[in-house]
Parts: sequence; structure tokens; C-alpha cells
Amino acid sequence: MNGKQGMQMNGNEIIIETRGLKKLYQMGSETIHALAGVDMQIRRNEYIAIMGPSGSGKSTLMNLIGCLDTPTEGEYILNGTPVQGLDDDELARIRNREIGFVFQTFNLLPRASALHNVELPLIYAGVPAKERQEKAKQALATVDLADRTHHKPNELSGGQRQRVAIARALVNEPSILLADEPTGNLDSKTSEEIMNVFEELHASGQTIIMVTHEHDISEKAQRVITLRDGLIESHDARADGLLAGV
Amino acid sequence: MFVLEGIWIALQQVWAHKLKSAFTLIGVIIGITFLIAVITVVEGMNRYVQEDFAGSLFGVNTFTVVRRSRISTGAETEERRRRQARNPDLTLHDVEVVQRAVPDAWRLAYSSDRGFDEVTYADRNRRNIRLIGASEGYEALQGWEVLTGRGLTPLDERRGLKVAVIGAEIAEKLFPDVEPVGKEIRIGSHRFEVVGVWDKQGGLFGNIRDASILLPFSVYRQTYARNPSEVDQISVKMRSLEEMEAAQVAVEGALRTDRGLRPGEENDFWIETSSELLDTWDKIVRVLFAAIPGLVSISLVVGGIVIMNIMLLSVAGRVREIGIRKAVGARRRDIMIQFLAESSTLSIIGAMVGILLGIGIAKAVEAFTPMPASVPPWGIAAGLTLGLLVGVGSGLYPAYRAARQDPIVALRSE
Repeated sequence: MNGKQGMQMNGNEIIIETRGLKKLYQMGSETIHALAGVDMQIRRNEYIAIMGPSGSGKSTLMNLIGCLDTPTEGEYILNGTPVQGLDDDELARIRNREIGFVFQTFNLLPRASALHNVELPLIYAGVPAKERQEKAKQALATVDLADRTHHKPNELSGGQRQRVAIARALVNEPSILLADEPTGNLDSKTSEEIMNVFEELHASGQTIIMVTHEHDISEKAQRVITLRDGLIESHDARADGLLAGV
Repeated sequence: MFVLEGIWIALQQVWAHKLKSAFTLIGVIIGITFLIAVITVVEGMNRYVQEDFAGSLFGVNTFTVVRRSRISTGAETEERRRRQARNPDLTLHDVEVVQRAVPDAWRLAYSSDRGFDEVTYADRNRRNIRLIGASEGYEALQGWEVLTGRGLTPLDERRGLKVAVIGAEIAEKLFPDVEPVGKEIRIGSHRFEVVGVWDKQGGLFGNIRDASILLPFSVYRQTYARNPSEVDQISVKMRSLEEMEAAQVAVEGALRTDRGLRPGEENDFWIETSSELLDTWDKIVRVLFAAIPGLVSISLVVGGIVIMNIMLLSVAGRVREIGIRKAVGARRRDIMIQFLAESSTLSIIGAMVGILLGIGIAKAVEAFTPMPASVPPWGIAAGLTLGLLVGVGSGLYPAYRAARQDPIVALRSE
């Protein structure tokens, strides 16, 4: 088990590595290079922002990193496991254990309580009911929603919904937290609140990869990967001492 | 766990859209209702025939010699029926032959009977009755017991007394508030003193006893018989099945000898037993049960198609949910199981409603007609199993479609 203590002890461990990652789409007779060969390394406990104009390939990269999709070419090694070429069910297992998603539109089950939403990854991990509820409540407590466990998403504010989504992403102790424009649907005050949650998580050892097009959001990250036309344009390391080398 | 999830979602949907659910499930409901109603009524009749009717009409270990078969098995040919029609009448001489053939008979009795228009007492009457002229021992052989008064005695027979023992329905009709015993009833142009009333048999075939009037055979013969020496049936009751079978063979041989039939020639009389009746009934039941699957499966197939459509709609409306589940780690089979559980729950709810309605219909039939109803546990099990099968069957394709959703596309859908 990769506990958070372990992460801090191995702060330089590479958790994501891609080599020549390509994703091609066929549009009629034309071949679109959504990703044209991406090489990158991300270390444990890094806080990364992926930026780029629309069409730059950042959604495609995010889908590949999140194991929602497989590359046409190239290698992707996640936490020591080569992911390219895995079948649907194996990818589902990796999503379940290694990745916590946070979406722009929250993507909570509308008819289920906050607690049940957070339990969902544990259900698919086969965790017994009692332990599941315990863990889900804990996760909700870490995002300050211990008193909202039985509320449905439509009874919660936007910020609260996103915090439920973050609790869901964290509940299975994933290797990476993968956030896709997590503040895109929130007002600036709530955005700030959510960004603070991410910073706290990062401070406690969580690896975070955030796709965004907002500069003031990306500024919170340690490193910004900018994509253009399916290629990495720049690795711009900022902030503190962890100028993770590439 | 996803099974519970599917069941829970299905229950919520049924509860939230009661009318829509009723329409969704109507095919399954009708199919199972029909199944249960038919099974229940047939099973009820079955038990009745086996336990009450066969026993009370023929009695156990009893066989009856008649001129020609009274039960249509559906198997005999037209020619055979014509030949039987030429069989000679049974007579008192045949009674002697039978008596000689089975001297150790536990009970032996003979009788003749005919339908009669009307019996009257004072200004009251009862129509459509059966007059039975019975020899001594007939009531004991039939297992009939008097409720009030007495049965027929050898003395009545010998002296040719004009006495009658009447069925319960006749007594209720003619004597709503007086004691029938000792009263004088009129059958056609003759008067009879009521000496007893049979206890009520009731049930589907109850009118056989309850609408009958028993007279001494000698009196019946002189008063109502078309041919004074004619006997309609000679019944023999033995103490065991083996004895009965042996006696049956003895009687058959004695009658053949007496009538001079050559070996290979068919009997010109007929021997009935309760097992013969039960065989016939079994055939009827088998035909009924053979017809059920066809009728039931039509409505279940229709019901399954409706459920499948509803499930396809449900899948289409929950693509995003499927995407979310896949993103957090649901495998294809997890999604499959969830939707299969949902369709099965829907269908089983339909089956349960059908079972309740079917039992309701059967109970109504039991209450308003003389037909008995009996709900066999296997009928309920069959209903639920069919419900499950329809649910799984109709859910397969929608569940497969759901499981195959691409999570990226699904997450983007509205």
C-alpha cells in the first residue's frame, strides 16, 4: 500500500512517465494528430498544471493519463505499470485504484447521497459495506462535509458538490488526483476555496495533475506543462524548491 | 453490490412512476396472472377430483359394471362407440351372476336411476332431480350418510314401501323451515314419505348426491323404470386394491361365460373404476397444462419486449451515470450486472403482482362458482422464475449496450 508517508519518503519517485505518446484520429481521409509524441515525467507529490489552447491536445492527454483511453503509439507507465495495451477491465481497475478524477461538471450521481457518491469507487473496489461507509465518511470529513453526508447533489452548493467529488476522488487513496478544469463552473470565491483544498492535499503528499486554461489557477501549481498542436511546448517550473527535472 | 444497486434503482423507479411502471409491466403481469389463475383452478379441480370426487362417486377399491362406458376418454373410436351402443341392458340376472362370481364381496349393490322433472311438497317444488332406485347396501357402498332420519332398510325393499331419502339441496328447497322427515312428497303421480336426508356433499359435483332422491329398488322398478328387469349399474366394493382387481377379473369372466362370448370377442358390458376416471382427468389436465406455456409465453415475450424498450430508454437517459461509474472503476460486467438486476427487479415485481392477481382471480372463481381453487407452491415458484427469466432476457441487450459505453463519450454526454 502506497501510504502518504511512503510518498513523502520517496519524494523523487517517478509516478508517471510517457515516451513518444501519440494519439491519432481518423477524420474522413485526414489523420488528426491529437497528440504527436509527448514525453514527460511526473514525480510523486508534484503539483502539475497542464495548459494549452483548445485543440492543443490537453483533453486527449488527460484522457490518456486518466486511463480512460489508450494511446495509438508510445508508452505510458503509471506507478510502474505499463498501461498501453491493457484491456477495458484492466483499465477500469487502474482507474479505480490509481486515479481520482475531479471534473469541471462535478459528475456526481444526481439521485445518490453525498455519502453514496463517495462510496462508489469503494464499491467497485469490492470493499465491504461497513468499511466503505467508514472510509467515505472520513473522506467527506477531510473536505469539511461531515455534516452533509445524506444530502443529494441538488441540495448542495457548487463548491460543496465539487468537494464531494474531491472526496470521491480521494477515497481509494489514488496515486494521482486528476482534475479537469475543477473550478470552471464555480464563482471566483468558491474557486479559491476549492484551490485551497487542492493545496492542502498537495501539502499532505498528494500528487495532483490539473488541466486548466486559467493562468491564475495554474499559478498555484509547481510546474506548468503547456501543450500546443499535440506537443509539449514548455515545462515551466515555478514556485518552490522542487524544480523537478525533465 | 451492484446487484443491490440495480434492485434499489428499479424499486425507486417503480415507486416514482407508478403508472408508467404498470404499463411497462402489463405484459408480464397478464402472463403471470393467467398462469397462476389457470394453475390454481386446475390444481384445485385436480385435488378435488382425486380426493373427493373419484372417491365419493366410485369409492375406493370399488368397481362398477355398466352397459356402456359413461366416461369419454376421447380415445375410443367411433366404431367402438357404436358397438358399445349395441350392448344388451344389464338385468337382475346379471346381478346374480356378479354375486356368484364374488361371494366374498365386502359390499355389493345395484341401482337404476333416471332424471326427473320435479318433486313437490305442498306448494313448493324443486326441478331437475335424479331418482335412484337402490338395492340394499347401496348407501353404505357409496359412503352416503343420513343427516336426519334414517336410510333405506331391507324391510323397505321387501315390502315395497313408498319411502324416500332425499338430498340436502332438495330438503333445503322443499322444507326451508320444517323438518322433512315424516312429510309426504310427490314425484310425478306418486307420493312418498321422506324418511331421511343425506348430509350435504357440496362442491363442484355435489349435485350428484344433493339433488338425488333414493327409493327402494323394488319401488323404483315398479313405478318409474322403463324396463322392470333393467339394472343400470352393479357396484362391488372390496377391502383392498388387490382383492378388487381379482374380483374385477372374476366378474368379467363370469359375465363373459354367462353371455357366451368367445375368446377374442370384446366384452358387451363395461367395467368402470375410479382409476379409469382419474386417468381421464389426468389426460384433461395434461392437455390444459400443455396449452398454458404457449399462451403464457406470448404475453411474456410481449412483456419482455416492453421491458427491453424501457431499459433501452433508461440506459440512454443514464449515459452520463454510466460514464461516471466507469471513470471511478466500474468494469463492463459491473455495469451489466447493475442493469440486469434492474430489469429483473422490474420483471419480478410484475410477476409478483401477477401472482397476487392470479390468486385473487382463482379465489374469486372459488367464491362465485362451485370450482375449487388451490395455490400450489410450485406455481408461485414457476411464476417468479419466469419473471426472473423475462427480466434477465429482456435486460441483456440494454445491459450490453450500457456496458459497452465509451467512458469519454459518456462523460461528455448531457
